[in-house]
Amino acid sequence: MTFCLSGIGNFSKLWKSNPYRGLGPGHSYLALFVRDHCGIRNQQRWFSLKTISPQNTKATNLLIAKARYRRKDEDSNQVSSDSHFLSAGAAKKRSQMNPQSKDPVMPSVRNTIQLPTKPLNSEEWDKLKEDFKGKANFESWIGSQMAHSHSSVNVAKSLLAWVAAKNNGIVGYDLLVKYLSLCVFHKQTSEVIDVYEIMKARYKSLESGGYSLLIRGLIHSDRWREALLLLEDIKKVMTPSTRNYHDCIQGALLHKDVDVAWNLYQELLGHDLIPLLETLEAFFDFGKDIRDDHYSNKLLDILLYLRNNQRYPGESFAQSIKTWFESLPGKQWKGQFTTIQKSGQCSGCGKTIESIHLSPEEYDFLKGKIMRDVIDGGDQYKKTTPQELKRFENFVKSCPPFDIVIDGLNVAKMFPKARESQVLLDVVSQLAKQNLRLLVLGRKHMLRQHSRWRQNDMEKVQKQASCFFADNISEDDPFLLYATLHSGNHCKFITNDLMRDHKACLPDAKTQHLFFKWQQGHQLAIINRTPGSKIGFQHILSYDTVVQTTGDSWHIPYDEDLVERYSYEVPTKWLCLYQKT
Amino acid sequence: MSVFLKMSVSVAFLRPFARVLVPFALHRKRRNLYSTILQRYMSSNMPSVPCSNKETTSPPEQLELDGWKATMKSSVQNGVSIVSSSEDEDPLVATRELIEMWRLLGKEVPEHITEEELQTIMGCASKSSKKKYLKYLFIKEKAKKAKQIKKEMKAAAREEAKKAQLLETTEEDKRQDFLFLRLWDRSMNIAMGWRGAQAMQFGQPLVFDMDYDNYMKPKELQNAVSQLLESEGWNRRDVDPFHIYFCNLKIDSSYYGELVKRYREKWDKLLLTVTEKSYVDLFPKDNIIYLTADSPNVMTTFRHDKVYIVGSFVDKNMQPGTSLAKAKRLKLATECLPLDKYLQWDVGTKNLTLDQMMRILLCLKNTGSWEEALKFVPRRKHTGYLEISQYSQEFVNRLKKAKTFGSFSKVSRNVRTQKVT
Repeated sequence: MTFCLSGIGNFSKLWKSNPYRGLGPGHSYLALFVRDHCGIRNQQRWFSLKTISPQNTKATNLLIAKARYRRKDEDSNQVSSDSHFLSAGAAKKRSQMNPQSKDPVMPSVRNTIQLPTKPLNSEEWDKLKEDFKGKANFESWIGSQMAHSHSSVNVAKSLLAWVAAKNNGIVGYDLLVKYLSLCVFHKQTSEVIDVYEIMKARYKSLESGGYSLLIRGLIHSDRWREALLLLEDIKKVMTPSTRNYHDCIQGALLHKDVDVAWNLYQELLGHDLIPLLETLEAFFDFGKDIRDDHYSNKLLDILLYLRNNQRYPGESFAQSIKTWFESLPGKQWKGQFTTIQKSGQCSGCGKTIESIHLSPEEYDFLKGKIMRDVIDGGDQYKKTTPQELKRFENFVKSCPPFDIVIDGLNVAKMFPKARESQVLLDVVSQLAKQNLRLLVLGRKHMLRQHSRWRQNDMEKVQKQASCFFADNISEDDPFLLYATLHSGNHCKFITNDLMRDHKACLPDAKTQHLFFKWQQGHQLAIINRTPGSKIGFQHILSYDTVVQTTGDSWHIPYDEDLVERYSYEVPTKWLCLYQKT
Repeated sequence: MSVFLKMSVSVAFLRPFARVLVPFALHRKRRNLYSTILQRYMSSNMPSVPCSNKETTSPPEQLELDGWKATMKSSVQNGVSIVSSSEDEDPLVATRELIEMWRLLGKEVPEHITEEELQTIMGCASKSSKKKYLKYLFIKEKAKKAKQIKKEMKAAAREEAKKAQLLETTEEDKRQDFLFLRLWDRSMNIAMGWRGAQAMQFGQPLVFDMDYDNYMKPKELQNAVSQLLESEGWNRRDVDPFHIYFCNLKIDSSYYGELVKRYREKWDKLLLTVTEKSYVDLFPKDNIIYLTADSPNVMTTFRHDKVYIVGSFVDKNMQPGTSLAKAKRLKLATECLPLDKYLQWDVGTKNLTLDQMMRILLCLKNTGSWEEALKFVPRRKHTGYLEISQYSQEFVNRLKKAKTFGSFSKVSRNVRTQKVT
């Protein structure tokens, strides 16, 4: 939903208003105002929201999600502004707005030979081989085709028998592996064990692909412990993959050996590997049948792991978490799938979600890192010059803190059809009317007379806002970041740049996430696409999207299966868990 | 049914005659193995085989399908004794085995690996870097093999030709009058040496800035040295060579070591200036122009009174602005080639290799024509020349119009997307 920045004062009031519940007349006026002003939200969604009652939120959310999903094709020309531009699916929508993007044309696969659907005898195989015209070796080609299209095990077996008969009873390793992958795919455990015996006998050691398949096949059998031995074999040469660990943990859980499973999990974390969400989900699924405090604590540890590493469960995982909590005896957990209102309150239980603002220590840390790694970066000459840096620092220190820092070039180039200096002037004067202290960052070439940069426009801009012009070959974004951070927590910045390149300059994932969190809380993006109209801004999230708890409640954001989320976006759906009292 | 069984039966039946038949097809060792397997297989499976060995009845599938397993398992005993001879729990051995298994699987790994290469593989930090290095070795091995085969074929052909010639030339003893002895290569080298000496005295300086070895990985450094070698070669062959300077080349750096390794004893006889000093110490600052693709200034003409600097830097790691930062620090003028002005750029970076730069500069120096000089830009990177000379005025006008009236214009759009996204 879109809000216009008609005053920073009632800005926050807008956020606090609750469009999901208790819609009074005052509120609907507000909503209409918003709709008309931007002229881009369609009514269907508004009315569907109005009907929500707390009881059936889940169902309605699903409906909304579906509707939105379907609508993507229809109104691809419209600006979808109902979600934050760093929320799940926003980038996808942006890309769909681009008319040039087309679905890639699938290259037609030329299949010369119809794959057999039933076992063939050797004459038939011979004949098939004669028909085959290709560069590759026929046996391995047909083997991989069959593995690819998941042919039945018996067909593959007849192929192997034919090859063996031709070849003194010897089947090559690659064919064996392809056969094994088919057996594993079709869950033919006895066949897997047979192949396992053969491989064990014929080869002293295997390679990672073969081991992985064997592990995946063996965990369902009684001989699952041998999968652990195979895991040891992999470790001799390389770190096993997360998938290998997942399979082993799954096997241990299937056979109710909890200790082994947890040990493997610890080992996995010890290798600095990122566990698959399925692994974590398996622990939760298994937890339903266990009444054990120790095990419960470990599951809570997993949730804290998700929190600390900013990972979000998928839809089915969220369901598992919910089921596990609700199965806890005596605690009476109640879970529901909800969304969070713009005010930062959970629609399910009304609790306030953690604030997006950084703690003072985090804030100082981030400020230092931005200065050191993004602006300086080991070589001050790369993005700026020491003289300019000095000039900028003195300038920032000499000014009182700003309320809003504007990326002049980015804002000015928002509307390709309008004159740059005019757009900038519009934005600046609109904000200046609200008595905000503004800083406009730009480059020196903006001051030179040009058909697109009128000098009198720029003079007006300089009257209404403080300006800093960097050299033409310097980067202005780092200055923007630093000026905003320097001004303090209340300061926002205006740009539609996603700042991914600057985020990438930061040394580690922890700092990058701090940056991202700060960006979510402080970036104002312009959303309207027509010049001249009043400028509307993307609302700022007031809450942090992360797994969180207050002891008697948990709030867990999760990814919907149907929504594609980019790495720099956050989910919009939440699982709310609280204890009934 | 079971073709396999049928076959084995027939072979077993033919066993008395095997002495006559088999040697044509099989090795001695294989034959023995094969027959023992067959015997074992027959003895173990015969009882369970129903006598339905007729073509007409559709046979029970299972027997046919599982037959190979028994052979595979029974051939085991022989296999194991061979493989397990090297019973060693060394990670090196384990890695070697892993690579061998990968090779069996048809992955891109080399057939032979030396100890050092194995050590390098063990030293690789991640799985993907291991695979990358193995693929590199695989390609190298393949190229080497292909070269070897080619060499042998050539040698054979030469031998053949020699024989044929020998037969011919013995018959008639040719006597002809020549003006020169066949010493072309040598005289050419001497001539190039003279020209080089001349360039050392009067030639226009061209500087290669070697101060980038900290920014490059060993691989990139090797590539840079190859490119340097090639550009030096192009310069030597030119009518009017540059006087090449290798500036900032520290004696103890890896750059120096690699250059000496490639040039060997020729290194001290090269007709170019190698110095540890910087170009700002050698030439007046106003005369220096640093060539870098990141420069905002476009080179319009080749100036014969300037000293051009080329950074000898192969940047596969994407560190944009490194050379521009260097020029900024020393307050030098910078320029970039007018690639966009003359060429319809398609793919690839605007960074050209050192030898391409060298040839472009040489061509500019001799002819002064951009069209001629930019022929050395790889063809894959652009789709063709822009007809600037003819349409330039019209083009510029149209561009201006497009900008002021705000109609669709590719240039302004590019600028915008760069900024916004």
